[in-house]
Amino acid sequence: MTATCRESCCSATPRVSVSDLFERGFRRLRDAPLSIEGEVHRDPAGNFVRFSLDVADGRIKSVGFRSSSCATLIAYCELIAESVPGSRCDIAGVLTSKEIIETLPGVPPYKHDRAVLAVAALRAALNVIPT
Amino acid sequence: MKVAYIFATQRHNVSYVLAKMILPQLEEKRHGASVVGMFFFEDNNYVLVKDNPIGARLHKVAKEQGILLMGCDQCCYEREIADKLFAGVPIGCFPDLYKALSGNPPDQVITL
Repeated sequence: MTATCRESCCSATPRVSVSDLFERGFRRLRDAPLSIEGEVHRDPAGNFVRFSLDVADGRIKSVGFRSSSCATLIAYCELIAESVPGSRCDIAGVLTSKEIIETLPGVPPYKHDRAVLAVAALRAALNVIPT
Repeated sequence: MKVAYIFATQRHNVSYVLAKMILPQLEEKRHGASVVGMFFFEDNNYVLVKDNPIGARLHKVAKEQGILLMGCDQCCYEREIADKLFAGVPIGCFPDLYKALSGNPPDQVITL
């Protein structure tokens, strides 16, 4: 019996590594923004990110983002964009940078501030969802 | 003259040009130029992984001579070694490299 291939080429479950998330995030970056756009968040190094959302019945349908080209930041944003859809909006708002950092090993500690930036930008988008 | 090296191509660059030319000359303090930084692309980043014997010598001489070592962040993530480099060796991209070298900029950048 042949074991199921778990690589990203043929697995049903995409790999959650920085490199794979960066690749998928880089493609998502090119998509048009979704209907609800949050404020742009920036860090002192010049990185920026803005999330956009589609929401229906109090749940997040899909997530988009525009960001600077930092690979770590794109990977964190893509992780959020893949994780959050399906969640209730209030539940998505309690996502923390610590959880994001722990979900994605392999990032050196001095790059963890990108997760803080990504989560802040997600919250900014959640804050402008019409009630 | 101050120089920075960018190890962009693979083949014999690390095992030969770095390990058998540049590094021994730096260790013997007769390289002929002051090296301010080295940036590594693609598989060249494996030299920066902890316990790499060439990397250990490079890390030592870099600390002694104030040479910046930096790995390409995307290359290191792709190889899943970003958090396995020698202590104090960062990963980054061009903005990080230029910022890190801004206090001691090279006169020449040599791409190998």
